[in-house]
Amino acid sequence: MARRAAVLLALLPLCGQAAPPGDRYVTVPGGAFRSALRYEDAADGTTVAPYRLMRRPVTNAEFLAFVRAHPEWQRGRAAVVLAEPRYLSQWSGPLSLGDARPDQPVTWVSWFAAAAYCAAQSARLPTWTEWEYAAAADETRRDAREDPAWRERILSWYAQPSTGALRAVGGQPPNVYGVQGLHGLVWEWVDDASALLVSADNREQGAADKLRFCGAAALSTDDRENYATLMRVALLSSVQAADATGNLGFRCAKDLP
Amino acid sequence: MKRLLRILAAVLALAPLSARPATPPALPGDSVYQLPAALTDASGKPVEWRELRGTPRVATMFYTSCKYICPLVVDSLRAIERKLSAAERARIGFVLISMDPARDTPEALARIIAERKLDPARWTLLQPDPADLRGLAGLLGIRYRSLADGEFNHSTSLVLLDAEGRVLARTDQLGADGDAAFLAAVRAAAASGTGSGR
Amino acid sequence: MRQSLLPLLAIALLASGCGQRPAPDADTGGSAKGDFGPPQGHPIKAVLTSPPHVPPPTGRDKPAKVIVELEVVEKEMAISEGVTYTFWTFGGTVPGSFIRVRQGDTVEFHLMNAPDSKMPHNIDLHGVTGPGGGAASSFTAPGHRSQFTFKALNAGLYVYHCATAPVGMHVANGMYGLILVEPPGGMPPVDREYYVMQGDFYTTGRYREKGHQPFDMAKAIDEHPTYVLFNGSEGSLTGDRALAAKTGERVRLYVGNGGPNLVSSFHVIGEIFDKVQTEGGTHPQENVQTTLIPAGGAAIMDFRLEVPGSYVLVDHSIFRAFNKGALAILKADGPENLAIYSGKEVDEMYLGDRALPNLAAVSQAAAAAKAGDLTVEQQIDAGKVLFSGTCSTCHQANGEGHPGVFPPLAKSDYIAKDPKRLPQVMIGGLTGKVTVNGVEYDSVMPPMGQLTDDEVANIATYVLNSWGNPGGRITKAEARDIRAKSPVGSVAAH
Repeated sequence: MARRAAVLLALLPLCGQAAPPGDRYVTVPGGAFRSALRYEDAADGTTVAPYRLMRRPVTNAEFLAFVRAHPEWQRGRAAVVLAEPRYLSQWSGPLSLGDARPDQPVTWVSWFAAAAYCAAQSARLPTWTEWEYAAAADETRRDAREDPAWRERILSWYAQPSTGALRAVGGQPPNVYGVQGLHGLVWEWVDDASALLVSADNREQGAADKLRFCGAAALSTDDRENYATLMRVALLSSVQAADATGNLGFRCAKDLP
Repeated sequence: MKRLLRILAAVLALAPLSARPATPPALPGDSVYQLPAALTDASGKPVEWRELRGTPRVATMFYTSCKYICPLVVDSLRAIERKLSAAERARIGFVLISMDPARDTPEALARIIAERKLDPARWTLLQPDPADLRGLAGLLGIRYRSLADGEFNHSTSLVLLDAEGRVLARTDQLGADGDAAFLAAVRAAAASGTGSGR
Repeated sequence: MRQSLLPLLAIALLASGCGQRPAPDADTGGSAKGDFGPPQGHPIKAVLTSPPHVPPPTGRDKPAKVIVELEVVEKEMAISEGVTYTFWTFGGTVPGSFIRVRQGDTVEFHLMNAPDSKMPHNIDLHGVTGPGGGAASSFTAPGHRSQFTFKALNAGLYVYHCATAPVGMHVANGMYGLILVEPPGGMPPVDREYYVMQGDFYTTGRYREKGHQPFDMAKAIDEHPTYVLFNGSEGSLTGDRALAAKTGERVRLYVGNGGPNLVSSFHVIGEIFDKVQTEGGTHPQENVQTTLIPAGGAAIMDFRLEVPGSYVLVDHSIFRAFNKGALAILKADGPENLAIYSGKEVDEMYLGDRALPNLAAVSQAAAAAKAGDLTVEQQIDAGKVLFSGTCSTCHQANGEGHPGVFPPLAKSDYIAKDPKRLPQVMIGGLTGKVTVNGVEYDSVMPPMGQLTDDEVANIATYVLNSWGNPGGRITKAEARDIRAKSPVGSVAAH
């Protein structure tokens, strides 16, 4: 009996996730990178330091385990200033998923909730640059953004309405780093989502309203054809830290030890 | 397995009673002080964000080496301060949180207080723990981006908090003339005393 | 006499004065004169309609506060038969809801973004004076709402659309509609008003390729649309969804062009626009056949229906109408008005430059046939004239044909064997080997589908009575029977 319990206990963390091969994180090697956004202070691009990134977005099952261990983050107990009233509304109860499947990416989570989850894993949210860097890759190339097929694949997700159920994580082929589901699944929080200083009228690209953002014009895109990235920026710039949507999830990152 | 889970559930059910020290009365769910955050004031003393509860405050973010807007931010706050009566002034605090904790040490903050002749009884300049910075900005709805040269691009808002930490008003208008509606809200917050029973 | 004229004069002056359109050389003063002061009375909730319907006139003569609540919904709908597309919509339709206010109104605009939207959205109304047309103040995340207020300073018909990056994609997915800012005196009354909006659509699949089609950014950038449609789908305004009207009615169309790329050459087949407010502006032009509607623009046209039938609305860049779907129907019911339009009156053969002076014979035969006393001689005379226009080209004027190529008609044993062969071949054609007067011919005579029954009868009668052929006649009735039995000739070419 005790041995059976011990074995089951050991397996408990794995319940509800298709066990990823080995590590939950992969190492993304660093390198030179040119963002799709026009940064005045990084006109020739930046260098991304290597970092660790979760293979897949955090699932309902994984988040359920988190709120069990951290009851202050349960639905109904989390302060509304940290998680809006629709927090985890896709679950049937604060501790039960109901129709929400364990292997779907968790959505209806605020930035504060996502950051708290990552902190509890001794991790953090990825930065926008780290996210953009990993997302530029496809199955075989580190930077596939010039390929219209890369863009089309992403735009075709934007073209699907949200009426269908979210797909499970892990269903998509891993990119060249081994990361799955950066596109075509859910929007994802990043640590510095509030650093995406775009004007509410996105047509004002680069207009020098320097007063609004203290010395800099609103971010504009360097690559106007990179609509896939533009739309991600638009979504992240439209939400506040306590907001949640049915299409916005997250994954965690870690610095290299 | 089931027995184990039942024990776990029982422990968790009891957890809230023992997890936190009781705060009489309970902090409202829409109070910004719900976020645990560690900061340091201009004298080097550690300040837990929640300790600011109890006084209505006008809060904003800045950094000491800011050349463009931040001097204007301080001016705007001082303009509000000047327009209040002495009685009102005594009941309002001004909080400036640095978005550059690496360089805005307590010494740097103290220098600003001295240079701009701010009354420390009312003005609280704070250096946040870097891990809490984004969260504080998120609470106040302030967006910022650090630049390669150490400067920042940031939006600017003045946020009026009641004594319990609830957001009463906000304005993006700066300058000596400022936002009349915001000033009126500050006055009302000062008049309502310590803010309980709102 | 003079005294009774004075009140008439006064009425005329009043009618032409306040509230009506200014004289053509005067102007309305634009936005500088468009502020009629603060709103009066209780706030009004705007009546919004789904296309093709238009809200009723405001009927106001004072500025009011109008509350508009518009929801953005992303939804999958049919773009063509068996083809679906994910549209992003204002109010659940493409184009979005029609908004109607009066110049000088203060509009409190509420934009809601449905919780299951993937994208943030905003709105730019071309009737707004202010940053971004409202776009700067209405950027709304999924599951949120935002609000801004503007005063409608200029009268006119204005496009509104989403302006979230990438703007072209949001517009291409159907995020546009119209807002009418009535002039102070209102729009002149008509019997029917309809709302039509053209848009171009870009899908990765070909035109009418079945299934769910995603948006194609490359085609949109290259401006190669797959569909050009009125009101967001093929067939949205055809069949039992055609716009309805009655003869004698005055119809007004509020027509917008959401683009994102194409300019419309808007035309209603069979009608002339009595009045067009080109580009939605104040001073109408009159008597216009086709009017240009810019992308992001609109026009208002009034016309009166005199004749019943189906009037086809098209973009007269005509391949868009017939190969991309830019087609809608306005069906007018009512009694015929033959004085205005008669329908087809005459269908006769036209000889062109082969028309010879003795065409009289054809007319004479026609008259006699009508009277019922057609003689063989009349048939022969008519047939001769018709022969020289049509048959002589190959068979020669003397019926000799062309050796080795076209068989002779003169003293033809082929005809003698069975005179009925003449009308049969004329109607049904003849292909392949045939021996005439001992010579084999292997050629093609096409069916003379352009000949009517009486023409066939007259020509055949002429040939039968010429060049040593046996004689006799073929009647119109016989020709008709042969045509009915002939697999080719049974369908009259005309």
